[in-house]
Amino acid sequence: MILDTRYLLLRLGQAVLVLLLAFTAAFILLSLIPGDGVTARFADPALGLSDDQIAEIRAATAADDSWFGKYLTSLTGFLTGDFGYSVQTGAAVSTIIAAALPSTAVLAASGFVTALILAVAIAVAATFGPATGPTAKVRRVLDSVPSLFISIPVFWLGILLIQVFSFQLGLVSVVDPGPAEALVLPTLTVAVPLSAPIAQVLIRSITEVQASGFVKVTTAKGASELWILVHTVARNAVLPGLTIIGLVFGELVAGAVVTETVFGRNGIGLITAQAVTHRDNPILLAVVVIATFGYVIINLAVDLLYPVIDVRLRTKRSSASAGRALRSHDEPSRRALTATAASVGVDLDWDDEAKEKDS
Amino acid sequence: MTDHRLSTSARLTQRRLDRRSVLSLGLGFGALLTLSACTPHDSGSLAEGEPVRGGVLTYFEPQTWTLLYPPSVGFYPNGGIMNNISARLLWQDPKTLELHPWLATDLPETDADATTYTFTIREGVTYSDGSPLTPENVAKNFDLFGRGDEARTLPVSEQISNYERSEVLDAHRVRFHFSAPSPGFAQATSTMNAGLLADSTLDLDAEGFGPGGATQIHTCGPFHITDETIGTKLSVRAREDYDWAPPHLKHQGRAHLDGIDYLTNNEYSVRIGAVLSGQADGVRDVQAPDESRVTEQGLRLYAKATNGINNSINFRFRHDLLGDIDVRRALIAAIDRQEIVDKLFTPNYPLATGLLAKGAMGYTDQSGSWDFDPDKANRLLDQAGWSERNGQGYRVKDGTPLALTVNIALPQPRSNEVQTLIQQQLRRVGVRLSINPGDQSKQTLDALELDTVQIYHSMVARADFDNLRSNYSSVNRDVFLNGVDRADADDDSVDPKIDELLETLASEPNHEKRQEAAEAVQNYLVDQAYVLPFFEEPQVFAFRRRVHGFTTEPVGRPDFYSTWLAGEK
Repeated sequence: MILDTRYLLLRLGQAVLVLLLAFTAAFILLSLIPGDGVTARFADPALGLSDDQIAEIRAATAADDSWFGKYLTSLTGFLTGDFGYSVQTGAAVSTIIAAALPSTAVLAASGFVTALILAVAIAVAATFGPATGPTAKVRRVLDSVPSLFISIPVFWLGILLIQVFSFQLGLVSVVDPGPAEALVLPTLTVAVPLSAPIAQVLIRSITEVQASGFVKVTTAKGASELWILVHTVARNAVLPGLTIIGLVFGELVAGAVVTETVFGRNGIGLITAQAVTHRDNPILLAVVVIATFGYVIINLAVDLLYPVIDVRLRTKRSSASAGRALRSHDEPSRRALTATAASVGVDLDWDDEAKEKDS
Repeated sequence: MTDHRLSTSARLTQRRLDRRSVLSLGLGFGALLTLSACTPHDSGSLAEGEPVRGGVLTYFEPQTWTLLYPPSVGFYPNGGIMNNISARLLWQDPKTLELHPWLATDLPETDADATTYTFTIREGVTYSDGSPLTPENVAKNFDLFGRGDEARTLPVSEQISNYERSEVLDAHRVRFHFSAPSPGFAQATSTMNAGLLADSTLDLDAEGFGPGGATQIHTCGPFHITDETIGTKLSVRAREDYDWAPPHLKHQGRAHLDGIDYLTNNEYSVRIGAVLSGQADGVRDVQAPDESRVTEQGLRLYAKATNGINNSINFRFRHDLLGDIDVRRALIAAIDRQEIVDKLFTPNYPLATGLLAKGAMGYTDQSGSWDFDPDKANRLLDQAGWSERNGQGYRVKDGTPLALTVNIALPQPRSNEVQTLIQQQLRRVGVRLSINPGDQSKQTLDALELDTVQIYHSMVARADFDNLRSNYSSVNRDVFLNGVDRADADDDSVDPKIDELLETLASEPNHEKRQEAAEAVQNYLVDQAYVLPFFEEPQVFAFRRRVHGFTTEPVGRPDFYSTWLAGEK
């Protein structure tokens, strides 16, 4: 068996703990903001309600309970699948989320797959071919594509795509498009910036692996560059790619907020943007928990995949510390990851064992 | 309605960008917007002809609707829907503002002091769930609107005052009783805030009236809700059996359109681009700088008056710095209203000549009350003891700088730009104006604090005298924060005269006397230099040329009942 049960349970326990901490932190932060949703909505002078009427509504919505009481209520609510009611519209948060989640999931999945394809294409094109002569120039240009992609503002890209492909060329409609038609431009918008860190890591790790001893040996034995890329380099370069995929999930969520707003797609991103405007805490709390849940699941999957991909991580001893093992064994990927993480603003904290090895 | 006042240099810039638009892909956001200027010109026929039946109109809103509970449909996206799906007891002519029968067979019988109203209900009217319109149902509607239901978080209607109870007299008549005169009630029954609901709908709570529940809202208007995609789209379709249009209208029977698709997109460039490129038929909220671009493309622009309190700033005189009438007069003299209108808006935004728009009920001409005179402003401030200046050039008295904060009225057009311009104008006379930052919720919350916001920017639309009361009374919107029972109240600073004058207006049943009472309120507010109005705020729509017969109800919400589509998209 590749994974032992104890490791699996440990990781699941960690995941639950992370969720609880995220919920608590979000709850406390949202409670700290002055003024709550009830005031924001019902104290609007446009409604012309008297102070007494507002007080009655506050009582009816339990807005004046102690923060701890409210915390317990919403925590039990979350555990039983009851996310409370939107302050802005009065609709059940679960209804709103249920309506938005599929659309975001589809966009995230298609954006993610497209980003992967883009990243692999860029990485392979930037590292394949002789390092001298005319191809070198092309490779250098391609090498800088990730930096370019990551600096494109998502909203700008979205608007640009709509203006050109919908309004100018009339290829896609923004009014009542079919399900596939509605997905094309938002997918591109999400995928382009998302592909950047993945491509960056792949380029670095492919370059490092290419420079390592065993590749030189294989080359000396007469293998073609393509054969080496497919059979030797790819397998070694894919692990750091996998790690960065787990890390960019957060970016996927952030990208969805902007993309859904620009394209008017009802998804988690759009309702987040609206909930922020209307200080709709029940919705924001649910969004935080759902986003954390997604993040935890993806990273759990990534961790569990390490030993599947890399035979060296399958020993009984090390499966509990699969990530650590990978990091200390796999110098090139580690260095590539650190470099990329720094370029996208993520601070990777390597464990002590690895640090000692480094020094 | 074309805007011919766009400056020559602005036009030249626009042309240059047009030609270069293909190259402008990398130029940035502004260039992006001009890209859509090269979409094909709309060349549909403008000939009116006979209305054609059929077609679904696609229409863009900037925000999604939030609540279809009639008293809460003042929010533009809500009102744009409710006005088309609901029918009311009375119908108000948007031009003359006169009341006519609709679901009531006649205007209501009322007693001399306007404390009872008796309506006779039209027969044969049904709701979209098949249930009939009955006096019992009408009574149930107004019991909810007039009292609200806090347990269901359904607020009372701002427009119905002093509501006591309903009484069903017989199979055709219903009577409403009020605890004090309520002369605004007849008009209130004509607004979309009194759109009648089927019995089953009246039992819903706030959740039921919110997103996700739209198809269970049953009304008796020309359209009914058939489909909802939460957050992005709401579809209404014509009711084939609709045969109870206001008798006053020429058009009777079914609506011409098959239906309307209300689409939502937050992104302005996408909304306007969709209409310019012909993907959508119409859009609400065309911004002033884009009006010329829309008309140059051949589209039709409709600027519809909202007939209410003008877009204004209200000086909260209970704050120490604004307690002195000379300071308020100085601020008014320092602000150049003409410059605001010229620089930021178009002729569709007429300079205010009173606290109310010209078409509003109770309008009083007060032009000449707010002349721009910076010398006078400086003189008044010097006299008021604000003659010293600090290092930054702002006026100081006893170590306190003359610094005030204004909110941004996010639903109002270009509020931030208006306030920025005023900031510059006030700086010239040594007054510091800060603009309160933040989203809609923050603006709402901050505006309730005298210490945070001393100058309050707002407007409100309702085609009745009661509009004044809604806006200025301390028990309604209370723009001055003038309520004695407020937590921070210092009773000396309250001006009880405002509420007194508004009370007279609200309890006066006689129309002529109401006009007098309305004038008295306005004259007092102007004499005290409490308010500075800027312009008459319109709702600006753009429609493709194939859209005919578009109108609005008295406060500028779209009315698609008589709208029809000619030809293909």
